[in-house]
Amino acid sequence: MTKEFAVPPVVFPSGGNPSAGSNNIQQRRVATAPFQPPRSSTSSIPFMSFDIGSAAASSSSGPLFGGPIGSGGSVPGGTSFEDEEPLLDELGIHPDQIWRKTKSILNPFRANPAVHKDSDLSGPILLYMSLCLFQLLAGKIQFGVILGWIVVSSIFLYVVFNMLAGRNGNLDLHRCTSVVGYCLLPVVILSAASLFVPQGGTFRFAVAGVFVLWATRVCTALMVALADGGDEHRGLIAYACFLIYTLFSLLVIF
Amino acid sequence: MSTDENLGFQSGVPIPGLNPPSNQFGNAFCGAGSGLIREGLGAYGKRICGSSSQYVQSNIIKCFSDPQYYFQVNAHYVRNKLKIILFPFLHRGHWTRITEPIGGRLSYNPPINDINAPDLYIPFMTFATYLVLAGISLGLSGKFSPEALNWQFVKGMASWLFQAMLLKASLTSLGGGEAPLLDMIAYAGYTFTGLCVAVVGRITLSYAYYLIVIWTSMCSGIFLAKTIKLTLYAEARSYDVTIHNYLLLGIAFSPFPFIFCLSNPTGNWIS
Repeated sequence: MTKEFAVPPVVFPSGGNPSAGSNNIQQRRVATAPFQPPRSSTSSIPFMSFDIGSAAASSSSGPLFGGPIGSGGSVPGGTSFEDEEPLLDELGIHPDQIWRKTKSILNPFRANPAVHKDSDLSGPILLYMSLCLFQLLAGKIQFGVILGWIVVSSIFLYVVFNMLAGRNGNLDLHRCTSVVGYCLLPVVILSAASLFVPQGGTFRFAVAGVFVLWATRVCTALMVALADGGDEHRGLIAYACFLIYTLFSLLVIF
Repeated sequence: MSTDENLGFQSGVPIPGLNPPSNQFGNAFCGAGSGLIREGLGAYGKRICGSSSQYVQSNIIKCFSDPQYYFQVNAHYVRNKLKIILFPFLHRGHWTRITEPIGGRLSYNPPINDINAPDLYIPFMTFATYLVLAGISLGLSGKFSPEALNWQFVKGMASWLFQAMLLKASLTSLGGGEAPLLDMIAYAGYTFTGLCVAVVGRITLSYAYYLIVIWTSMCSGIFLAKTIKLTLYAEARSYDVTIHNYLLLGIAFSPFPFIFCLSNPTGNWIS
């Protein structure tokens, strides 16, 4: 009965060589994932894979489609799920740090450069998405434009700052982009507020002016405090920051 | 490395008759100031600087004198230079650049010490100001879109480079061919100040702004002519007066088409 069709004997690596018969069929009925990469302690590449089903993996390296065997009790060779870092830590996103940095921008009169000492780009990305969201609410789809302008303006500020500071200018592009991105917070608030301000009036320009000056003030203070060589060129750097944030406010106003 | 850092302060302007030792200068360019060049060139920088090929190094020197020189500015210089650019006839002093011997060679003083020296901070900032003002002018006439502003950027860049090439070509064909390219880029960029004033005029007054255009292009033309005259007489080998005068006249009228075209921002990619 079992030999109605010629089934070639399947060799399982750890289970020895089971004879063809009911043994095979029982083992074949175990729910396995269609592809399981070889998980072995001898493998040099640490591969994270997750157990699907209750079967544990085979520990020896074998043919690719060996797969886990039904009632196996073997210990998985790679990293287990519990040993991994939390996802946000692994990605380098620290929400409490982002929150602290964003709160420090809210005060236009006193900059807090200590919080911004280690630069990160996840806060700016969050602020960029919220700016795009508010622009979307205003009917303008400008995702690519804003991202491109952030990149160009941070390169511009990086060049200008380092050239002005001369020999001892040590601003690096990551920190520059981080500061420019965080100081977009006033522009985000402007775009949220401009949803309720009537179009084409001087009040709109006045509101935009206030937020642009806020962003400029914070950005200059942070730039001068975080990188050397910017002290005697405060006004020149402030003008560059002012131009950058005016450009973003143009997107919001018009 | 310390001697290289000392050399880094000077511009690469050679006086005719003096050949800068190219090896030393190549190192000065590579070791000098800006982290941008250090980081930006990266591996290629090491290859270029480390290569002992005289041809490569002397070509780099010919194309780009040390850009760090053009950014040694302070607020006082910027204010006074803007006054000279916008009202060149009010400038009481002389127009020559101060030279002083450093390291056995005559070189020009940096802009922080010499009001007549060109710099690159003002051109960059006025270009960006022009973009912002063009955006405002587009927005007030209802034609604002980010693509329009991007096209304005491209058009402004193209006209800046065109004007710089014009200056460089005319000086090279007449003079000794030793006018540094970055100097020409700086001089061409100074017309953006007049352009910004013209765009402000267009925003505030709608038709009287043509008078402002004529006024600012005249001022930019006078400024350019006076500076190029000095460069020409300092470096030209042949003293053919009539060609020089025609050239100076041409340069004096050259900002007019640029200012006229660029101060009318429309959303299209041409015109």
